[in-house]
Amino acid sequence: MSGDSQGYKVVLGVIGADCHAVGNRILTSVLTQGGIEVVNLGVMVSQDEFIDCARAEQAGAILVSSIYGHGELDCQDFRARCEERGLGDIVLYVGGNLVIGKQEFAAVEAQFRDMGFDRVFRPTVDLAEVIALLKSDIDQRRPAGLRNSRALPAERLSA
Amino acid sequence: MTDLNNRRLDAAAFDAERGEVLQGWATGAGVCFADALRVQEALPVEKRFAVALAEADAQGHTLLQPRAGVALVREHVALLNGLSPYCDVLPTTIDAYTRHNRYAEAQEGIDRSRAAGTSLLNGFPAVNHGVEGCRRLVEALEKPVQVRHGTPDARLLAEITLAAGFSSFEGGGISYNIPYAKHVPLERSIRHWQYCDRLVGRFEEAGISINREPFGPLTGTLVPPFVSHVVAILEGLLALEQGVKCITLGYGQAGNVAQDIAALRSLRRLANHYFLNAGFTDYRLTTVFHQWMGGFPEDESQATAVICLGALVARQARATKIIVKTPHEASGVPTLEANQAGLKATRQMVNMISDQNRVDSPDIQMEIDVIEAEVHAVMREILRLGGGDVARGAVLAFAAGVMDVPFAPAKANLGKLTPVRDNHGAIRLFDVGNVPLPADVLAFHRDKIAERARAERRDPSFNMVVDDVRAISASKLVGRPA
Repeated sequence: MSGDSQGYKVVLGVIGADCHAVGNRILTSVLTQGGIEVVNLGVMVSQDEFIDCARAEQAGAILVSSIYGHGELDCQDFRARCEERGLGDIVLYVGGNLVIGKQEFAAVEAQFRDMGFDRVFRPTVDLAEVIALLKSDIDQRRPAGLRNSRALPAERLSA
Repeated sequence: MTDLNNRRLDAAAFDAERGEVLQGWATGAGVCFADALRVQEALPVEKRFAVALAEADAQGHTLLQPRAGVALVREHVALLNGLSPYCDVLPTTIDAYTRHNRYAEAQEGIDRSRAAGTSLLNGFPAVNHGVEGCRRLVEALEKPVQVRHGTPDARLLAEITLAAGFSSFEGGGISYNIPYAKHVPLERSIRHWQYCDRLVGRFEEAGISINREPFGPLTGTLVPPFVSHVVAILEGLLALEQGVKCITLGYGQAGNVAQDIAALRSLRRLANHYFLNAGFTDYRLTTVFHQWMGGFPEDESQATAVICLGALVARQARATKIIVKTPHEASGVPTLEANQAGLKATRQMVNMISDQNRVDSPDIQMEIDVIEAEVHAVMREILRLGGGDVARGAVLAFAAGVMDVPFAPAKANLGKLTPVRDNHGAIRLFDVGNVPLPADVLAFHRDKIAERARAERRDPSFNMVVDDVRAISASKLVGRPA
């Protein structure tokens, strides 16, 4: 495993009762070649499975896929659940066909950003673009994370 | 493997199991077999699936069928009646929660859909609506209606929908496990589908013919024809054993015209061969062609071209039925209008091909020869593994990778077999995995892939496979390098 990919570790999976496996395979292959270490949970993954895995693996991001239309139901309160479980800062991406039927993407994007996803992607997105964004987003969260953990003892002292 | 075998389920054991199945959700209490027979007997002839298929087969017609399903009964009735003038037989696509027996989540989807004023489910939750809700649906329609889903354990769904007057039921113990589940053991799903087939057998014995349709396309992504043909033949044999009489075997469009025509022509011949060899003579076999099941172009005109290519092939090969896609396919669940558009484009194409002469070519015959050699080789090994029993043979074959479906999510599938397109877009085997194909067939696949590699000046690799998976949505058949 390269030092490069150890720096960018993500948890990938298809949420809910969705069993579409093809895109998941493609994503794993392309992300890995792009220098991202992928922990792939495959299809039919619950919110808690994503979060448990991200905690255990100390992943920098969770990448949620949904293609079957139930994304709106399955992704409800995902960010809140991350916060409850101490992963409030994790980079959270979602992509696919997230709602029932053909809807204006801007509206879908706004809806899922409201749910706390950092970025929302259509199925046709250029994966090279996703990889670049992912690395940059994980890098930006990282110093904040380090700052927090270093600041913690001082905060305790002052409290 | 427990006590799975390919024998007709014992009557007493079936009745005991039925008691448990009907307790799976509150609506199970509404099922009564005597009432179910009365409902089916009362169906007018124009609402019987088996009759529509038999007439189409006899007259050489090709039936069109869309996919459709929404959360609430009234809205689903309106959707199907909006599609009815453009198609020959109707579907009811079941939502994904119901497919995994998650009826509480389906109920939440129903409630939230009611509150939102729009369907938040990707299909019709038939178990939650129960016999009563499903009967209201069937009564409001004018054409035969089929249950289309992806359910590893469809026993309760079958009980409820058949009791309500649905006259065709899609699926099978392999085709609704390997592409549709993650952790379900194959012996369990095959056993659960023996129950569904036995239920249909009981209707047949009472004089009611219910059509059964194993799901042909599997994962819908670069599936070699022999792989789906073997599953179709196995599920046909399993269904016949339980007393099913009306069987429709399916195949999903792969993209190369010669290979697709060859696949459909060989399917009927191969199935008859294995059914007759197993001693079955009293059955009615028809075929269904699925328009491209992989990723679609987002642009609606481009998507319509994919739909039309499928329609051409299906009609040229005289499929009894076509499952029709829509220009919204890339975006998920289509609107009524998009669904009508797919049906209209398909109808135009079917009409224009109908009067034309049968196309034959050495390419088509060569593809038929390859498919037949592959199917016979795999079936021989399955029968050997099972000691002549196809249920046991199927389970052992998947465990050993003798049968292997590409891109499948199920743990029961080995996932070593990897397909890739050749230079003309036909599907070949990049990695055969553990599937026991004859040496000359393997050499043929290798040569075909080498021809493409030379043309593209690159070595065959998984990147080529990835390019192929994304090619049609990017407006090509073969995933060439940029």
